[in-house]
Parts: sequence; C-alpha cells; structure tokens
Amino acid sequence: MSNSVVKSNVSSEERDEIIISELGQQRVCPFLASMDELSKHGQLTKWIEGHDILLYIFEGKVKAISNICRHFGGPVGYHKAKGGKFTCLWHNWEYDCSSGACLTNSNLPLREYSLHIRDQKIYIDLL
Amino acid sequence: MTMKTVNLSVTCQAEMDCPKEIVMWNYYDHEHLVGTHYKLYDHARVLAQRDDWALVYRGKKMPFLPFWSGGMALQYMEGNVMKTFHQDQLGFLLEMEVEFEDLPDDRCRITATYNIITHPIFKVFEPVFKALFRKWFWATWEEDAPMRLRRWKVHKLGFKDFSGIDYINECLPEPRDKRVPAFEFRPPISCLKAIKSVDGERRRFAHSTEVGYNDD
Repeated sequence: MSNSVVKSNVSSEERDEIIISELGQQRVCPFLASMDELSKHGQLTKWIEGHDILLYIFEGKVKAISNICRHFGGPVGYHKAKGGKFTCLWHNWEYDCSSGACLTNSNLPLREYSLHIRDQKIYIDLL
Repeated sequence: MTMKTVNLSVTCQAEMDCPKEIVMWNYYDHEHLVGTHYKLYDHARVLAQRDDWALVYRGKKMPFLPFWSGGMALQYMEGNVMKTFHQDQLGFLLEMEVEFEDLPDDRCRITATYNIITHPIFKVFEPVFKALFRKWFWATWEEDAPMRLRRWKVHKLGFKDFSGIDYINECLPEPRDKRVPAFEFRPPISCLKAIKSVDGERRRFAHSTEVGYNDD
C-alpha cells in the first residue's frame, strides 16, 4: 500500500475520496468500504465506476482484485475464499488470494488494485 | 397393438431483462451446472458435442426427492427453440422445449414446456409432476437470473470471453466509444477439458459460505 497520500478530501458533492500524488501526478481515489464493513465477513464485493472490486483480508493484509472472472465474467468472490483461493461461482475457475493469479489459466490473472487506508476507511486507486 | 399413453405436461414462462441470446447461452452452457447450480447438480459430463447439439450426462437432485439421480440428455437447437430429451435412472423420458422470444428494450421471454409421455397409470401423479417441474423451473431460474443479468452487464462494459475490459485488466484508459455490440450466441460454448473427460466435472462445493452477488 502506498504512503503517498497528500490530503483527504470530501468534495462539495459529498463524494468521499482522497487525492494521492505519485511520480508528480495527482490521482483521485474514491472511497470503497470501511474496515468495519470488511471485517464482517473478511470479504466483500462492490461496483464502483465500472469496476467490480473484490475486497478481502488475506494473511492480515487488506487486498483488492477485480471480481470479474477472466473466463466468462462471473463473480470471483461469490464464495468465501477457501484454502487461499477464490473459486468463481459459474465455472469453478480458481484464483490465488495472494496475487489474483489465475490457477486455471496462468495467462489470465485478475488485476490487483492499490488501496489506501485512512481513518478506518479504504480508498481505491482505479487508474 | 399400440399401447395407450398419457402426456404429463407443464409449461412455465418468465421474462428477463436481457436479450434472448444471453439466456440461450446460459441454457447451452453445460459447465455451469456444477458451478452456478452446485446445490442441484453434482456431476456433469459432455459425452459428445457438435455446434448445435450435445449429449450430456448430469447428476442432479430434483426438488422433493430425497436422492441424487443421474441421467442422459440430448440437447439441441432448432432456431429459437432448444429441445432436450432427458432419460433419467427411473426410466422416464422427459421431453423439454424452451422457446426464446425477443421483447422490446433488450428483454426476452422464455417458455419452457416439460412433457413425459408414459403409461396411463401415471396420470394420477400429474399434480405431483406439475409441482415438481414448476419447482425445478423456478429453482434453476432463481440461480440463473443473476448470472444472465451479470453476463449482460459485463458485455455492455466491453467484456469478451477471456478478454475485453482492458481498462480493468490492462489498466488502459476507459474507451470513450461505449456502443454495445449485439451479444452473439455461437455454440458450442468453449469449456474446460475436464467436462469432456471420462470423469467429467464435479461440483467443488457441497457447502459454501456465500458472500453473494452485488450487481444491483
């Protein structure tokens, strides 16, 4: 997780987001979920700006990967992870919790997203 | 001398908020039986398949019945109608026809008719047959509906089988052109080799903690 947050920001439209600065570029990271929300099941999914995010805790770390299976687009995080892997509901494609690597077809990993946690709130970098 | 028979028949109809091709894809996808329907099917094997037909073995548990049973099904497309002849271990031949119709605004209507032509003695069980297959239709419908709606949703985002949505997977800029191409149903559906092997594909879960969909 990056430590390059420059400021928190709630815009006039009441969108909860933070702005990070990396390599001289500023990026807006929208709010994804609270730690409270996540701790209920240790795993949740949420759509945000055309991205379907699978947010989870694995070996004590908060992680986020794409929830859209590379096979046919199924929900990777429908089942709670078991044995360090996610199994897509539709056709049982499997993904490694540590990295989003696809265990069924190694050429088709899931994207891992950068997260920023501030005041028990989780923000996601979608770019 | 021909034997007298009776036709036990029941028709179920429902509508979906997606094009009919998505539902055809779903009905023709044999692998999802032990995935999406892991509570209803424990085993599936494609014994033979060509473009518009497939011979499939399925192990399933029907509503009300306290046991799992296997059966062979020949499934094929005839235009907008999918026909299935399903012989189960009890010896009944189930003939199923599913008709797919377009409705305005990317919606569709599905009409499924189940028929068993059998000895007149079974006429007394017709109410049970109707209840069983209505229950079956709605049980599978409820599990398939979110799959179809999500399939349509990700298609509209630019997802293609094994590719697409590069703004997610390749971190590329989101495309400005958001025109949605028609969803094309082109059987056979690509699938893992396991379902075509001697062992077929087994369900991975007998029980699961379901976090669920969040596609609304």
